[in-house]
Amino acid sequence: MSSELLQNVRVLNPASETDRVADVLIVDGIVKTIAPQVTEMPFETQIQPCEGLILGPGLVDLYSHSGEPGFEARETLDSLLSAAASGGFTRIAILPDTLPAIDNPGNLAWLQQKFREVRNQSKTLDKPISLPHPYFWGALTLNTKGQQMTELRELAAAGVVGFADGQPLQNLALIRRLLEYGQPLHKPLALWACNLDLVGNGVVRDGVIATQLGLPGNPTIAETSSLASLLEIIATFDTPLHLMRISTARGVELIQAAKAKGLPITASTTWMHLLFNDEALQSYNPNLRLEPPLGDRQDQIALIQAVQQGILDGIAIDHTPYAYEEKTVAFTEAPPGVIGLELALPLLWEHLVATGTLSALELWRALSTQPAQCLHQTPATLAIGQPAELTLFDPHCAWKAETQTLKSLSSNTPWLGQPIAGRVVRIWCPG
Amino acid sequence: MVASTWTRRHIISLADFTIAEYDIVLQTAASFQEVLSRPTKKVPTLQGRVVANLFFEPSTRTRNSFELAAKRLSADTLTFAPGSSSLTKGETILDTALTYLAMGTDIMVIRHQHAGVPQAIAQEMERVGSQVSVLNAGDGQHEHPSQALLDLFTLCCVLDPDQPRASLMQGKKVAIVGDILHSRVARSNLWSLITCGAEVHLAAPPTLLPEFFRSWGAPLEEAGARSPLHLHWSLEPALADADFVMTLRLQKERMTQYLFPTLREYHRSFGITHDRLKHCKSTVKVLHPGPVNRGIEISSELMDDPRLSLISQQVSSGVAVRMALLYLIGSGKVGDGKS
Repeated sequence: MSSELLQNVRVLNPASETDRVADVLIVDGIVKTIAPQVTEMPFETQIQPCEGLILGPGLVDLYSHSGEPGFEARETLDSLLSAAASGGFTRIAILPDTLPAIDNPGNLAWLQQKFREVRNQSKTLDKPISLPHPYFWGALTLNTKGQQMTELRELAAAGVVGFADGQPLQNLALIRRLLEYGQPLHKPLALWACNLDLVGNGVVRDGVIATQLGLPGNPTIAETSSLASLLEIIATFDTPLHLMRISTARGVELIQAAKAKGLPITASTTWMHLLFNDEALQSYNPNLRLEPPLGDRQDQIALIQAVQQGILDGIAIDHTPYAYEEKTVAFTEAPPGVIGLELALPLLWEHLVATGTLSALELWRALSTQPAQCLHQTPATLAIGQPAELTLFDPHCAWKAETQTLKSLSSNTPWLGQPIAGRVVRIWCPG
Repeated sequence: MVASTWTRRHIISLADFTIAEYDIVLQTAASFQEVLSRPTKKVPTLQGRVVANLFFEPSTRTRNSFELAAKRLSADTLTFAPGSSSLTKGETILDTALTYLAMGTDIMVIRHQHAGVPQAIAQEMERVGSQVSVLNAGDGQHEHPSQALLDLFTLCCVLDPDQPRASLMQGKKVAIVGDILHSRVARSNLWSLITCGAEVHLAAPPTLLPEFFRSWGAPLEEAGARSPLHLHWSLEPALADADFVMTLRLQKERMTQYLFPTLREYHRSFGITHDRLKHCKSTVKVLHPGPVNRGIEISSELMDDPRLSLISQQVSSGVAVRMALLYLIGSGKVGDGKS
């Protein structure tokens, strides 16, 4: 039997709108008691004083990239899961753009087997660590090339969490048929609204900053015109659709209007788009080269408000590892994306919650329960009698993001070498 | 000596250049132009110093201009050519820069096809604790400071050959015509001309002149002053009573990006010819950063007309101005700093 008592911990439970200090007793992976003061507990209970620490349901990442298979120098499944655990995630959904892609049940089975090996290995460590549970998005199209539909029924039966390419699909006829064909599968489809013709060679959001910096601009309409088309198409079907990587104020308006009409959609932005806007690009740091690009200050404010109001359901991490030599190039040539699993919660907390922009519950909801709902999963809840799927976070634990301190094999982040104000203490993951 | 007030280590962008700095560059360039008119056109100013020309993007005139400027100052020069370099062998741009640092380079002159690379290398040089100065010789569509400074020098020399100074540009109407969107020359010139008080008029089809360019004039507008920056989608209002006309190179591949229909229509709408210059002041002069597409952005006859074209003066000013820039950022490291 294992028994732990977390004393005086700040309990956040979005499901019950709870934010209070209490003692939490966890016995054999089940939350036994939550009370102002727990005095009755099994013999040999480990007692941990937790003043100032935060305990909430485990974080859920909507979409991130694995380097394995195909790009193991960037990230392995092992390093990805370790990074996710260090960042407080108990579930992560992995995009299918591996090499080979997760576009058939065989490749999915290989990754599931790989996960079992990683998990078994972690149990043999001197100090066994909890690992998050990985879920896999099945590709919508073969090799995520946006041309030929994958065997969606077979993938659904093999256990994908939903369908996504992680790349913008350009062919509206294909999108229409995917939504139509996907109706009986009852799995979410995740699409990224982005018209590549309008993007052209753009690498930053078109605007004053792009013009002054001489960087080719990607106009807002590349997102919004594509989004408007997708919303028109989804109105004809019942297939649940998740709209990934919303990055513009106008995109938020379109989502809000579509939800008001009752369309079966959920939506997310990424943590980087909440923390930065294009003013940060003055540094030409290739680690701020993102797709979609950072918006302007108005976009950033609109995205934060949309998270607060629930117009955007989730904050995705979109963890995208790249090796040093891949990212140490001119901004324009840099492949888009940054790592984030280990950094997102501490930095979002520091910049949005500690500043009073979002409440603790608003942030936690957008990182845990709502992403789970976007994936059609039962969200974890911090309640008596429930399995302990939890994240313990210390918002005042100072550390520095460095190659040695990060679990990820890659360190492509603008925070490399920077002090970080908070750190996840540990996660509890059932099973 | 004017250089004693110079504190800038790198020259990456003209965005934060002050009038005083423009004056220092102009005065220093004037003294080097005098050197270049002597029978022996060489001074020992940078003797024993190493200037590396890291031209990641092919260039002939800017590279030769910098090379000649460095040699006239008696510096040793190294030239990097991307075709024969290690870049094709997997080396990063920072690796290349660190290699030249290890060879004892004092000044890196950097040209790259993408914006931000000179700044990234300057930051890396500071991070590793070196004293190397970086001079931006053109980065993507961002800036080309030495070109804008030689343009300013050329203009000021027209206005007062004996004493070129920034205040001469006050109230002068300068039209910049052509592919402004893709031009690093235009961006650097916008900073320098506006700071020096010129009234700048930009003219191009809307696809090559987005509204975002108004931001160069914005601070003055906010302060309630008249913006010295005007945007035009036709040529005539930009040319009316202009003192100077700067034309820009139009890259032919822009047509395939739906930016304008044909070169013929472009030339008929925005090409600079003798006839078009009738709208300008009678003393008008025409500039072009080169290389020129004859018959597209400027007519051949106009380009070759020495009464109106300053193109060859721009090229010769280029050596004096680049000597001035190398001297100013290099002089802190050469003992007494005298030229």
